[in-house]
Amino acid sequence: MILRRYIFWLILVWPWTSVLAHPVSYQDGIGIMSYNSQKMNELLLTYSFTPRFALAHTYLRDSGSEFYIPRANLLLRRWNEPDSQANIYTSFGSGSEKFGTKVSSTHLGEVVLDWESRKYYTYLEHLYLRRNNAANAALPQQDYNHTKLRLGFAPFLADYGDLNVWYIAQFDKHLDETKIETTQFLRFYMKNVLWEVGASFDGSIAFNFMIHI
Amino acid sequence: MKKLILALAITLTAPVFAADNAEVKVSVKGMVCAFCAQGIEKKFMAQKEVESIQISLEKKYVKLKFKKGESLSNEKIIEILKESGYDADIGK
Repeated sequence: MILRRYIFWLILVWPWTSVLAHPVSYQDGIGIMSYNSQKMNELLLTYSFTPRFALAHTYLRDSGSEFYIPRANLLLRRWNEPDSQANIYTSFGSGSEKFGTKVSSTHLGEVVLDWESRKYYTYLEHLYLRRNNAANAALPQQDYNHTKLRLGFAPFLADYGDLNVWYIAQFDKHLDETKIETTQFLRFYMKNVLWEVGASFDGSIAFNFMIHI
Repeated sequence: MKKLILALAITLTAPVFAADNAEVKVSVKGMVCAFCAQGIEKKFMAQKEVESIQISLEKKYVKLKFKKGESLSNEKIIEILKESGYDADIGK
């Protein structure tokens, strides 16, 4: 237990880290998640103190900015049903944004809603980053807003310990862009490792990775 | 009052846990994702009393096999499932 917490804090303070997994997992669970496309990279590390509360650290690179944000993740509500599970999460934190050579403060707020059964998967996330434009005139004027909708289904039902395969369609909308980007993913997971490979209609590729320790 | 109802429900559904045996089977609600259910295996296998665990998403149960002469109380099993993010379905 002490070693696990030591590893968590070691990774947390390591300069290049990190981002979030499922915002909160099981008690004492560590989650490492990485989203990668040609436009952005996101790395998230979480440590769940309880099934309802986790501390995390996000690294996000997008649109010329790099964000480093420690954050708290809360499970607000969970519905455990016999054939499905639904959740509402929220996150908040404060950190820094590097844009060009300048660094300024930033604040994070995020809401995640999900519902899944063994056959279907839905996920809605909105990430808001308040930028300190007054401190850095080189920043874009608008705050960072990113909405992500994911809809998926499993072509076959796999059980615990089997290789699980999912098809997922992801729709991304940035506040400062008019178009909605669509990316199709194949998700695989087995035991405590999950990975996704995807491609958008403009030909760009994406790779996501997640592990529970 | 809630504790009283819970204790009564556990008592009335004793076959779900069959605590006197070396194996117990617990119905679990919300266990639909094998990746997320990893926590159940990790938490139970961290208990010195547990020898092995079998998880079935299809049949929605967790089956625990205890070491010889060992067992976990129903309350402890429910607590571990809670820590893993799930609820024991004591109505089944």
